[in-house]
Amino acid sequence: MMSIPFFGLLAAFACVFAGRRRAALALWALSMVCLMVLFKLHATDPLNIVL
Amino acid sequence: MNAATARILNALGLLGLCMVLIVAFVDQIVLGDLPCPLCILQRVGFVGATFGLALNVKFGPRPSHYAVVILSAFFGALVSTRQTLLHIAPGTGTYGDAIMGLHFYTWALVVYVAIILGCAIMLLFDRQFFGLAEPAHGQSQSQGGLSRSGAATFGLAMVALAALLALGNGVSTVLECAAGLCPDNPVAYQLLPGLQLPQH
Repeated sequence: MMSIPFFGLLAAFACVFAGRRRAALALWALSMVCLMVLFKLHATDPLNIVL
Repeated sequence: MNAATARILNALGLLGLCMVLIVAFVDQIVLGDLPCPLCILQRVGFVGATFGLALNVKFGPRPSHYAVVILSAFFGALVSTRQTLLHIAPGTGTYGDAIMGLHFYTWALVVYVAIILGCAIMLLFDRQFFGLAEPAHGQSQSQGGLSRSGAATFGLAMVALAALLALGNGVSTVLECAAGLCPDNPVAYQLLPGLQLPQH
């Protein structure tokens, strides 16, 4: 599951080579959403800091 | 700065970010430091930033392409900031080896800030956006001669290298984490249970 953003970006690169800019941007955006969702799933412990 | 110069600088930026990802791979494969989940997510941020630079190289510089780089670096910086804060208090442990005095996640935060700063500086040069977008390959030899063609080839080679690193990281993550979430402190590749990791 954590490899999804990489393969999404790989597909975006493929779109770059194919000259399909909008599709590439859409795949990049999806990959970034995946990144943030995975980050939320892993950021569970409270930070031991005082701000 | 015209579009051709901006393209070359973006290709050099691609080379620099590819080197960051290659160093991480060397640490993983040669030294046996398996990336933690947050480390993997930071690599995603770097690959996302290379994608924005690749757009500039292939389609010509646009503000939206720099925005892609900045947003990717921002998302990656969120992850590296959290990991740095997890270990910032003395006695709370660290993850992985330090390189030149800083751990990889701290270096990642430094590099992300440098990426954002670099993009802000590039965005100061408006003339790069005035030229018509042109293909990175097949440019007229008479307009730029061999050097321009060589720069375009270099740029596309860097885009290909970045794509290859995206593939490599995807495959590596599948081997390490299989289909689920990665363990917090990985000690072995889940799909290669018999593989002996190098000791250091």
